[in-house]
Amino acid sequence: MGNFLKWVASAALVNVAIGPLALAQDDPITLGVQVPTTGSEATYGKDMFNAISLAADEINADGGLLGGRQIELVSGDSACDPQQSVNAASRLASLEVVGVVGGYCSGATQPTLKVYGDANIPFVIVAANSTQLIPANPGNAVMINSTGNDQAKTALDFFEGEEIEKLAIVNQGDAYSQDLANLTRDAWSEAGHTVSAFEYVNKGEQDFSALVNKIRSSGADAVFWTAYYADGGLLIRQLRQRGFQGLIAVGDGSNSPKLFDIAGQAAEGVFAFSNPTADFLPAAQQFISDYNAQFDNSPGPYAPLAYDGLQLMAWAIDKAGTTDGDAIISALNSADGQEWLAGPVAFTPEHTLSRSNFVVLEGQDGNWTRYEP
Amino acid sequence: MTWYDSFLQQLVDGLVLGSFYALVALGYTMVFGVIKLLNFAHGDLYMTGAFVGFGGLSLVSGFLGAGWLGIFVAMLLAMLAVGCLGVVIERVAYHPMLGAPRLSILITALAVSLVLQNAALALTGGQYTAFRTELGFGGFNLGNLFLSYNQIVLVATAGVLMIGLELFVSKTLYGRAMRAVSIDKDMCRMMGINVSAVIAVTFFIGSGLAAAAGTMAGAYYGSIWYFMGFLIGLKAFTAAVIGGIGSIPGAMLGGLILGLLESFGTHIPFIGSEWKDVFTFSILILVLVFKPTGLLGKSEVERM
Repeated sequence: MGNFLKWVASAALVNVAIGPLALAQDDPITLGVQVPTTGSEATYGKDMFNAISLAADEINADGGLLGGRQIELVSGDSACDPQQSVNAASRLASLEVVGVVGGYCSGATQPTLKVYGDANIPFVIVAANSTQLIPANPGNAVMINSTGNDQAKTALDFFEGEEIEKLAIVNQGDAYSQDLANLTRDAWSEAGHTVSAFEYVNKGEQDFSALVNKIRSSGADAVFWTAYYADGGLLIRQLRQRGFQGLIAVGDGSNSPKLFDIAGQAAEGVFAFSNPTADFLPAAQQFISDYNAQFDNSPGPYAPLAYDGLQLMAWAIDKAGTTDGDAIISALNSADGQEWLAGPVAFTPEHTLSRSNFVVLEGQDGNWTRYEP
Repeated sequence: MTWYDSFLQQLVDGLVLGSFYALVALGYTMVFGVIKLLNFAHGDLYMTGAFVGFGGLSLVSGFLGAGWLGIFVAMLLAMLAVGCLGVVIERVAYHPMLGAPRLSILITALAVSLVLQNAALALTGGQYTAFRTELGFGGFNLGNLFLSYNQIVLVATAGVLMIGLELFVSKTLYGRAMRAVSIDKDMCRMMGINVSAVIAVTFFIGSGLAAAAGTMAGAYYGSIWYFMGFLIGLKAFTAAVIGGIGSIPGAMLGGLILGLLESFGTHIPFIGSEWKDVFTFSILILVLVFKPTGLLGKSEVERM
């Protein structure tokens, strides 16, 4: 009797499992979203997820992809941590997602490249931009953000324009901030200037007093913080608290409005390099109001790129005309100036964006404004 | 800046950092003193204290302002609340385990740490919370030496708390009982001392001190998050070991020494600040190898 019941139960289960297969053609297209939704970078991650889901909603409302199939998003929380992100990536790969959009922290994105590469899943990297991602890319990923090389060049031009001679560079030892710090240091000394201090702080450390002293006694005219806003806010605060008068600039990981929360007054007059944020993109005005309406918040710095990332993936799936990995990857690489919010998308043979998209911002009254020297 | 000015500045900064370590290290060492437990949840009580202090400040800032007065009141609230939390943790998680093998209770402490951390993660969504205060950046220069008012208030508060603790332990009846319990629990019980109440008081004070440090750190540095207790927990543990775990003056001394070591460690010529923690934790290893009882600890037969 027991066996019979078990048989009935499993037969019912099989039925349930087979049922939907008959409708395979109308199945949703599942796309993975790999962003940090917990941890120190959760603000950016949630913001990117919102932008991606906004793009997916728009495409779905327009009739979806491949003749009417809806996009369905699955979130993988990378937590900006290499181990967690590999777990998230393996999970997305085992769910057999058609493609993945996301990638924010370079350090956490790098190890996932192999996971997606092995599973032949196309991956649009929307924010992570360490140059170390380039050689690690097995060919299935494209980067729609300008890389560290472009940012170091923008930094060099900016500091030279401000007549800085001695520069102190501080990073956090992760792939992204170290990469940007190294590139800037090399560019800076090659241009004949002095790097007066090249320092490192531990993630999660709160007291930077010794570091601030070292920077001050090195006689630096300017400090360049290449890592993220949470610790950057603390550093800026302590630099100003201890009477550092020079110029402070931060990399694109720190240009969040939250920097003003943490650093307060001290963030006034701080410069930031940024990928064009929505406020500075003429094409993004509609996006800003849609985003505001739906999430009751303004889109953060990576929202437009995240939005573009999903649009690009959708465009590539439609162009490939199939959900086959190889076809989508080759469609992605053949992008030739498709444009959504953040300007035309085309790739170099190394799968990186073919142009630099960095702008300089300045902190004024608790907000970032575009800085034109 | 000459090397001498730089030296003085390091000294001052080391003292500020060291007073945080000392306050947190005291909790470690007191708990170890009475129940021989390395309370790995201690760093997370510091974090909890910062969040409670933050909540307290938003409550009282309406009528007391968010200057030092408001922060003090918030700090007292945090000390009270986290002190009680410490007692609850002891009653729920550690008390039933006191007879169990030492390793079990150590693992329980790790579990408590994870519970606190993940509860804070769930409640805050893992985001950094800005700890807004009305503290200015003011200070004065002594020669080339810069002292901020905040640093002075901070070190003074830590000093008052530590002196208060020292007086409590050396002069009061409960303090004497606490010292007695750390020497021989069974004998105390036979002498009619309520050992379990003494343990509760110890947890209350230790957790309260961690909460005081957490609130002050939040106000001083300006941001708090769920993981802020991890690193300082490790470092306070190091400080307690350097000073001699179980010894209250040792924890204070160890905290100050560690703060100074870190401050000067950043400036070792030819190696950068990335070596700071390598340097700091090497000292821990050296102390454990050459003087396992720490600077002020007394030798003991039974050790973890």
